[in-house]
Amino acid sequence: MTALLELDAVAKAFGGVRAVDGVSFSVEARSITALIGPNGAGKSTLFNCVAGATRADAGRIIFRGRRIERRPPHRIARAGLARTFQTARTFRRMSVVDNVLLAAADHPGEHLPRLVLRPAAARARERALQARAAELLDLVGLSAHAQAYAGTLSGGQRKLLDLARVLMLEPALVLLDEPMAGVNPVLRGQLLEHVLALREQLGITFLIVEHDLDFVMRAADRVVVMNEGKLIAAGSPDAVRSDEAVVDAYLGTAHGAAVPA
Amino acid sequence: MSTLFSGDFWAFVGVVAGIYTILALGLQIQFGFTGLLNFGQVAFMAIGAYTMAILVVKEGWSTWLAAPLGIAAAAVGGLVLGLPSVRLRSDYFAIVTIAFSEIIRYVATNEDALTGGSQGTIALGKVGTAAQYNTQWSSFQSRVQGWLGFSSSDATMLVIVWLVAVALLALTALAVRTPWGRVLKSIREDEDAAASLGKNVFSYKLQALAIGAALAGIAGLFYAWEFSFFSPDDFEPLLTFFAWMILLLGGLGRVWAVPIGAGVFGFIFAGTRFLDFAPFTWFGSDQRAYLRLIIIGLVILALVVFRPQGLLGRKQEMVLE
Repeated sequence: MTALLELDAVAKAFGGVRAVDGVSFSVEARSITALIGPNGAGKSTLFNCVAGATRADAGRIIFRGRRIERRPPHRIARAGLARTFQTARTFRRMSVVDNVLLAAADHPGEHLPRLVLRPAAARARERALQARAAELLDLVGLSAHAQAYAGTLSGGQRKLLDLARVLMLEPALVLLDEPMAGVNPVLRGQLLEHVLALREQLGITFLIVEHDLDFVMRAADRVVVMNEGKLIAAGSPDAVRSDEAVVDAYLGTAHGAAVPA
Repeated sequence: MSTLFSGDFWAFVGVVAGIYTILALGLQIQFGFTGLLNFGQVAFMAIGAYTMAILVVKEGWSTWLAAPLGIAAAAVGGLVLGLPSVRLRSDYFAIVTIAFSEIIRYVATNEDALTGGSQGTIALGKVGTAAQYNTQWSSFQSRVQGWLGFSSSDATMLVIVWLVAVALLALTALAVRTPWGRVLKSIREDEDAAASLGKNVFSYKLQALAIGAALAGIAGLFYAWEFSFFSPDDFEPLLTFFAWMILLLGGLGRVWAVPIGAGVFGFIFAGTRFLDFAPFTWFGSDQRAYLRLIIIGLVILALVVFRPQGLLGRKQEMVLE
């Protein structure tokens, strides 16, 4: 078993709040790992640390055997670790297909000197990418909207676009931040199928923050639970579901008792 | 009324509109495509003009070497401004840019030995001599005038400035349609998302800033040649805001909106001098000069109400912002 991603005592504080307080776990290659926990548990902060959007105060984050905890986000993305956002962050005044094309890595046409010196290479790459972008839009069912402004899509469609965009990066590991939030049930089912198929066909590993426990139980091989910045449980979905610490975290220690004023 | 029908007068208005087009095109790349709120554009114009003039007068360089160096110096100025500040949130970045442009102007005012100080370029040479930086340019311009068979030097300058402006507009229109331009737009839309997709936001912002600054440098060169004298007072922040007005008039994120905006701006700006009938005659002529600012303000207000996307902008994109 090789861990694709390893977190070792990662910590991040905002002022006096220890949002992430020494979290260690690993994500196996080709696994689907769910990261759950009540609101304010530190899941999103941990995500941001892994993706490089915020820098961890302490600890090590190792991706494909290399430490990434001090790298800027664009270099982490290029190393093959892609992320989506809690609310899909599409480029609203760009077309849907441009949103996907943009995500391609190592495009000679994005490099001014190369664009000027070897325009033919840039054009050839752009053509190849256009074919790939069309495939991905087809996969997520957005082909009909390819030329529309991304800002005209519904919230659920934007999440699908986000997924297509991330896949354009050809990542080894995808971090999904609440993929199911605000998505209608039909699209939810599609998203679940996509995630399972992508793991199967492309060998993509997923780390998913999600509140929809039904999705977590059906998709995840392994569940990691956080509460108040700390890791409180990790294991198979069934094991975690019956874990007392997890139940306490979600329902409070005094089950059924009145909430103290 | 005679100036109203004077070809030379309108040629001069056209020259100024062409110079503003190049200046505002730089802003269009920086803000319209990349989202960089630059309120210091005039500084790069000053850097371009002063670098050229100083090299020609003090170092005896050929204009044809000094001019590209002026453009390069403006681009380097863009990098110097951007390196420490481009990571700031856009409103803080805007404050830094306006401070930068004032610093450049104050340095030009006070470094007498380098720039001629508040007396302007006339004091660039030895004491008691009126320095000239545009001898070579003038002879070039009269040669072009000979080729064109024009009788007016204003009309000649009009042709030269607009040839350059159109070439730069066409190049920019090409560039923003490439994958490179796509990255700029993605940064304008959401720079965190662009970074999460592997784009080096910092580098692209610097590129946009430097290219926009280089364009301002070109505008500065033409400004210097057109007026054959300039001083730090010519580079007040007001000029940056003229360029912003042009951008808003024309429309954001559209290359060919820039010359439209500059044309309308130039027409209003020059046209108000012909308001020599009642009720405008109630004001003194010195007061009337300010009417044009009031009118431009009213036009922009009307635009915001009735056509917020600018003359050439896309309404749909406004709604999606």
